[in-house]
Amino acid sequence: MELFHLVLRNLLARPVRSFLTLLGVVIATTSMVLFLSFGEGLRRSLAQELSRVGPAIQIVPEGMEGLGFSGYPEITPEEYRRAVAAGKDLGVKRITPTLFLVRGGFDPQTSFFFQGLPEGVAPDLLYPGIKPQAGRLLPSEEGAIVGAKVAKRSQLALGNPLRLSPRVELRVEGILEESGGLADNLIFVPLKPLQEVLGTENYTALLVALNPGQKAEEVARALEARLPGLKAQTTGDVMRFAERALRISDLVRFGISLVALVVGGLLVANTVMMSVYERTREFGVMRALGAKRGFIFRLVVLEALLLASFGGLLGLALGSAVSQAINLYTLGQVGLALSAVTFRLSLFALLVALGLGLSAGLLPAYHASRIPVVEALGRV
Amino acid sequence: MMGAVRAENLGKRYRQGEKEVVALEGFTFAFPQGSTAVVGPSGSGKTTLLNLLAGFDLPTEGGVYLGEVALHRLSEDERAEVRLRHMGFVFQQWNLIPTLTAWENVAFPLFLAGLPPRARKERALDLLEKVGVLERAHHLPSRLSGGEQQRVALARALALDPPILFADEPTGNLDAESREQVASLLFHAGQERILVLVTHDLELAARAERILYLKGGRLVRQEVPGPSR
Repeated sequence: MELFHLVLRNLLARPVRSFLTLLGVVIATTSMVLFLSFGEGLRRSLAQELSRVGPAIQIVPEGMEGLGFSGYPEITPEEYRRAVAAGKDLGVKRITPTLFLVRGGFDPQTSFFFQGLPEGVAPDLLYPGIKPQAGRLLPSEEGAIVGAKVAKRSQLALGNPLRLSPRVELRVEGILEESGGLADNLIFVPLKPLQEVLGTENYTALLVALNPGQKAEEVARALEARLPGLKAQTTGDVMRFAERALRISDLVRFGISLVALVVGGLLVANTVMMSVYERTREFGVMRALGAKRGFIFRLVVLEALLLASFGGLLGLALGSAVSQAINLYTLGQVGLALSAVTFRLSLFALLVALGLGLSAGLLPAYHASRIPVVEALGRV
Repeated sequence: MMGAVRAENLGKRYRQGEKEVVALEGFTFAFPQGSTAVVGPSGSGKTTLLNLLAGFDLPTEGGVYLGEVALHRLSEDERAEVRLRHMGFVFQQWNLIPTLTAWENVAFPLFLAGLPPRARKERALDLLEKVGVLERAHHLPSRLSGGEQQRVALARALALDPPILFADEPTGNLDAESREQVASLLFHAGQERILVLVTHDLELAARAERILYLKGGRLVRQEVPGPSR
């Protein structure tokens, strides 16, 4: 018989109430883990995607954040030429202009993401390691190389037409092997047809590859100094921007899950308080026999902590299982694992659960430890 | 051993609305080794006296001394420590901890005193054997009869071999057979201790070495029962 043993005995003596309280904590923790796992999943996916993108620097118009999938192309051919000139003495190996075009609805499942490449440039220059599973890798003037997931989703085969506008039509000339990255969801086409569809000669972004030994951050800052109106962002810049956005999103999602947590906390507090009221005489007996106030306080707090930590662990396990199920679904649908239960998230969830238990147990514990012995024993 | 229990001019008053109630007044007595019964009608101050002697409550006048230690001047936790090391209690309602088995209830004070688990269990089982309920050692209080529960409570009171034993109507809820068993065990345990027995039961009180009569919160008479007991 130790303190833990006493607490456990009391919880097991009221199994239904303890189970329902535990369930409340499990649901609260699971919902928090799931909500926050989306942020962690996006972080991880983004880092993986960026690590697969060949160019170290992307030049985009000032004011644009991220990779520039959306938005009208604003970089002029003149700016491209200036960038090439500026890059010559900065250790730049190659600058590839590119253009993105999204066709379809808002749903990624029904949208087509086109990336335009200059003549003679194959997609493996930008996404190293990708290989064709059918056809070729370098598109002709009217050809398109289709990512594995797009081909599967839209049942595209070699020779199928892709109509970008009433006047512009391309044919599938190659289908890529699945790489698990961004390229799986893209259709690579020559720049010219995309520019014709948009009625411009501009580009969305300039992708800069560096010679070995060059530092991306330094070259990016030097390029920016020489190219007014343009911004050179490194993979780190993109990650930092994404991190800012994800943090805001984390806070919003944590705020939502806080509702569940507060309800879970109130459940624990209610259970422990009820238990304290029911056991007033028992605490009186303990005090009469020689237990000090601190002993009673620890007994009650430990009860709340035990409920919360056990509920937290179960909630974490359930949250991880649901997260895996979500990933199975999203990997099949969009090729990304959107949810991740990382170590820091697990630690955070457990700490929140413990904090919950502690705060829910403090007031009942204080109350229990302060009841006068004569009142507790009913000897007034 | 702290020596005798001494009450000096002990009093307890409290307010009940506008009215002041005198629960105990001017009680002075030194409880020697052996058994002392405190008797009196309801509201005579018996329970108040026991509450003050045990340090459950603080007096409004006078004080309680265990040898040289002024119990009423100690903090709540210090009084709890004194109770743990020097006092044992037997209540009318038995007051066993319902989630612990009989032997675990007996071991509870030993746990508070920091004895190792094996020693606790050995001592608890030994005491249960002495009070005749060893075979019920692994049962919860809810599975024990009133007499068995009171014997377990007595074993718990003796767990740390305290020099002072307080009993408040220890046979009040028992049938005749259990009453006799518990009374015998209690007075046997009280022979080498200071036993303070609070009771309505004059027959039980007559078995004590001395009897104190309370009335209206005051000690009105002391008596040493005759050999006819």
